[in-house]
Amino acid sequence: MERTISDVVEEQALIWSGVTPPNAPGVRLAQALEATVAGFAALRGELAFEDEPSSFEAALQAVKE
Amino acid sequence: MNKPVPINAILDLSMTEVATAIRNGDVSSYAVTKAALDAFAMKDAALNSAIWLERESALETADACDKLRRAGKILGPLHGVPLAHKDMYYKAGKVSTCGSRIRKDFRPNYTATALARLEAAGSVTLGGLNMAEFAQNPTGHNQHFGHCRNPWNRDYCPGGSSSGSGAAVAARFVFGALGSDTGGSIRLPAAMCGITGIKGTQTRVSRHGVMPLAFSADNVGPLCRTARDCAVFLREIAGHDPKDPTSAMEPVPDYEAMLDGDIRGMPVGIPGNYFFDEIDAEVLAAFNAACKVLEARGAILVPVEIPHMDAVSTYGSIVSRVEGGAIHAEWMRTRPESYAVHLSARLYGSYGIPATHYIEALARRGPILRAIGKAVFDHVRVFLTPTLRTKVPTLLATDIDAGTPGAEKAFMDLSINTRPINYMGLPSVSVPCGFDSNGLPIGFQIQGRPFAEGTVLKVADAFQRDTDWHSRAPLLPT
Repeated sequence: MERTISDVVEEQALIWSGVTPPNAPGVRLAQALEATVAGFAALRGELAFEDEPSSFEAALQAVKE
Repeated sequence: MNKPVPINAILDLSMTEVATAIRNGDVSSYAVTKAALDAFAMKDAALNSAIWLERESALETADACDKLRRAGKILGPLHGVPLAHKDMYYKAGKVSTCGSRIRKDFRPNYTATALARLEAAGSVTLGGLNMAEFAQNPTGHNQHFGHCRNPWNRDYCPGGSSSGSGAAVAARFVFGALGSDTGGSIRLPAAMCGITGIKGTQTRVSRHGVMPLAFSADNVGPLCRTARDCAVFLREIAGHDPKDPTSAMEPVPDYEAMLDGDIRGMPVGIPGNYFFDEIDAEVLAAFNAACKVLEARGAILVPVEIPHMDAVSTYGSIVSRVEGGAIHAEWMRTRPESYAVHLSARLYGSYGIPATHYIEALARRGPILRAIGKAVFDHVRVFLTPTLRTKVPTLLATDIDAGTPGAEKAFMDLSINTRPINYMGLPSVSVPCGFDSNGLPIGFQIQGRPFAEGTVLKVADAFQRDTDWHSRAPLLPT
């Protein structure tokens, strides 16, 4: 049987954090991470690799009014 | 002394108007504070906007403000003005529930800088306002202290997570309130309750002594009735704080002095992508009407494309979730039953998101902001979007804990237009711009460059000079 993303979340949450599924909506929202995974997949290759350290604070200053 | 203010008209004044009246001796802080507390006592059973109030100490503080004024001493721009705040701003020795069962008895031993600055400016703190549990929902549900309700219709969401702040200000219980905004938690209740709320640039306001939700996206800011009130309020709390080393060193201008109503020739961007996907027709009509108001005042509407919105949306959806998951990991492991269902459900998924993706989301935040600067702000001063894409939903329709079918999607969709702005780190103010066919408010949000809080407030104020949506008051049962 194919493993779902909620199966993966259950495994990762238990291994890394000792957290178990709290309720049915939790499992459903974990399954909804499929859309996020798809979002990341769609971004592959879209943004250039950054050679320099990225600083969000520096960007705020660079773009400020 | 000018003309005295009738007691029954006090609570209809804006924050800046009542501050002026107190300063001039037209009304006492005691009378104003008593009127606010009486309004809570008589009407808040319908809204549940407050978690706790301290009547006696508030009246004592107000009386002290009056004595100081009579002696010729004014503490600051908010001298004697009663405010109440989302119950996550710590005050040494006082309970700060954070809207939660877990922290229902939590007494911090230090005080939030934002709260300390407001009190140093003369404000009178009435108490702690209702909020989403740990600031983690956009609706106003709270399983531990009771759901907060929308003052325009009690069946509807007031918006969250600063639900009590939105409801209490809209209901004319208080003149302004601190909220916090990690994915829309100031702007959503502002829009859904028909008031004005601003989140500043990321790092603009100190977060010392404020319950954390997600360090990269948390913002402290005000909900008030008008842009002018927000300008005065924000100036008092903005600026670097040595106790919060992440707070910006950027100087704080006099925002109120920038509100001259003159937006002639100002290029104002209207995004052609993302923010209008599947938008409700009534929300779109109100938004378009708001654009016409600004155009009539001299703004030049310019179509813009916000670059990398797919990335902003995807990355923005995980940053606060993962950071929130980390903060709550111990309680999620040891006492998950202490959370409401919708909150433990939301937190749970964060433990399955790989760290590499979280780091990717953070690492690309700066380059994406720079790209937005070039593509958007090299051409326009601000850009506008609806605050929500939908009409205000009912509490029932978004109640995950009650098992309402479709509630999870309705719940998550509420912040679809606000959360990306947190990822961008931009200042954003939500302004009321109409009512839907259910009689619930509609809002739009104005974004500017980093640290352009004065500019977004200037546009908001210009809009409010030509409209009266912000001055309409809901009728409440007593």
